[in-house]
Amino acid sequence: MPATTFRIFRYQPDSGETESYHQDFQLEHGEKTTLLDAILRIQNEQDGTVAVRYSCRSAICGSCACKANGKTVLACMMQVEHVKTDSGQEIVQVDPIGNFTPIKDLVVDMTPFWDKFKAVKPFLIPDGPAPEKERLVPKAAMEKIAKESKCILCAACYSECNSLAADPEFVGPAAFAWGYRFAADERDGQRKNRAKLYSGEHGVWDCTRCMFCNERCPKGVDPRDAIEKLGSIAFQEKVTSDKGARHAKAFLISLRTGGKLNEILIAPYTDPIGAPFNAPLALRMAQKGKLPKSPLTHRVKDRDQVKKLIKNVKETI
Amino acid sequence: MPRQFAYYPGCVAEFSSKELNATTKALAPLLDIELLPMPQATCCGAGDVAQAKPNLYLTLNVRILSEAESMGVDILTICNVCTLNLRRANKMVKEDSRVLEAVNEELVKAGARPYQGTIEVTHLLWFLATEEGLSLLEARGPRGLNGLKVAPYYGCQLLRPSSVMGFEDPDRPQSLERLITALGGEVSDYEGKTRCCGFPIILAREEVALKESHVALAGARDAGAQVMVTPCPLCHLAMDAYQRKTEQLMGEEYAMPVLHLPQLIGLALGLPTKTMEFKRHLVPVDEVLSIVGA
Repeated sequence: MPATTFRIFRYQPDSGETESYHQDFQLEHGEKTTLLDAILRIQNEQDGTVAVRYSCRSAICGSCACKANGKTVLACMMQVEHVKTDSGQEIVQVDPIGNFTPIKDLVVDMTPFWDKFKAVKPFLIPDGPAPEKERLVPKAAMEKIAKESKCILCAACYSECNSLAADPEFVGPAAFAWGYRFAADERDGQRKNRAKLYSGEHGVWDCTRCMFCNERCPKGVDPRDAIEKLGSIAFQEKVTSDKGARHAKAFLISLRTGGKLNEILIAPYTDPIGAPFNAPLALRMAQKGKLPKSPLTHRVKDRDQVKKLIKNVKETI
Repeated sequence: MPRQFAYYPGCVAEFSSKELNATTKALAPLLDIELLPMPQATCCGAGDVAQAKPNLYLTLNVRILSEAESMGVDILTICNVCTLNLRRANKMVKEDSRVLEAVNEELVKAGARPYQGTIEVTHLLWFLATEEGLSLLEARGPRGLNGLKVAPYYGCQLLRPSSVMGFEDPDRPQSLERLITALGGEVSDYEGKTRCCGFPIILAREEVALKESHVALAGARDAGAQVMVTPCPLCHLAMDAYQRKTEQLMGEEYAMPVLHLPQLIGLALGLPTKTMEFKRHLVPVDEVLSIVGA
């Protein structure tokens, strides 16, 4: 029977402990014991004050996300031995999920997460009066939103989102996965309004594409892909005034006019108001030869093919 | 017979970060690699086109893959973002013949060559961090880095999503470490090496981006690194060109020179410093050059 040292994050402000620390627990456990079962056994057998949030134990409720040796997992979905081999460490350190404020041990304050979830209006808002019978949806239409419908709101994505770490107001990957799930639902009548709602200062163009959300999601939702698809919906709905959308437009203009990125165009086009304030950096970059000397576009061979593709290829989200 | 690749340097290495392209081209013959140009290849769209027009992104990237296929060789990249975009498109069409068919229909309609799905896309780092690559480096008898303390900085898109990238464990990558050690450097390890540099949003959300790059710069500094090395020119711009702005925003000093991966290899193999165009860096690398005796 394997024995493991669990180094658990402790924080008990209710008991007058103002500083957090890590406490070691030794536990003998089965080869296939899950991390959640191990934590619950420690709670039952060694220290009843260890606080952890859980419910279904079956990777459905999304309550027990935590960090195991630095990596966000669902504690019920990960075997202790797997944590050890995956991290290459014999000790299993358990921490609360990131980008949240701990309340007690592994339990965090989820309020900002739920507020952002509510803010994306995660429900159907159909146009017009309700039909007499149910709204029938073709299978193919539901397949477009099948991945995003699997989100269990465990916040594993949110925990390691690099944009959120830098901008706590960023709406975040899980909420946008739900946003896409409804924006792309053909029964919904708020596609354009949603595109506007999701394109604000802390919206879809705040995503830095670190891809941690896709990597960590235990259900294969791929929230970054959902954010990307919301960008595409914004373009189709002509909601493109955000600097992030303008940045993407600069790429499209570059492709149309020459095929490669036009670096003279990209900064002023993205941010016509702010770009002049970046003149000192631009000057220093120019002195080092980092800015192109000519505003002419870089032309690839057979660029008529590229122009035709830009004209012909239709978006289908 | 040198190993041939269709060379896809990407837009940034061809323009803003020419020093990366120049160094890679100078390094290639030393490593028995022949870099074949791709005159038709467009920008990969850098994730921006994918976010605005996903079908167009896919078609443009498959057109690039098809050009390499017509040359009969795999693609070699030197940019994280290009690598992800090309590999993702490749995976999408290789895994679903209906998607490939639809893309090819558009390509043929536009007069471009249809793709058969036979090409692989690899990054220079991946090629060199294999046994084959490391033996090529050893064969050149590297003069070494004189114990230079190097902070590996991977960035994001060469590691994640691992379902598309898949070269190594995205949470415990070792390819840069293997190269640094093989070249006679000392690895300065730190947590921020797999976090984001913020570059994709640096023009649209500068403050958010700079706070992101701070994590890696501060981590490398605190680990005692004398230099940071990255396989991505976009990460390089964020870490090098924007470093002073990050220092101003965060009220900290990093004084961290940042090398492109081929420059670190070039230093160890004794490429002339002029060839590697260090003068184009915004953070001076003089101290690094003096440590390695270049």
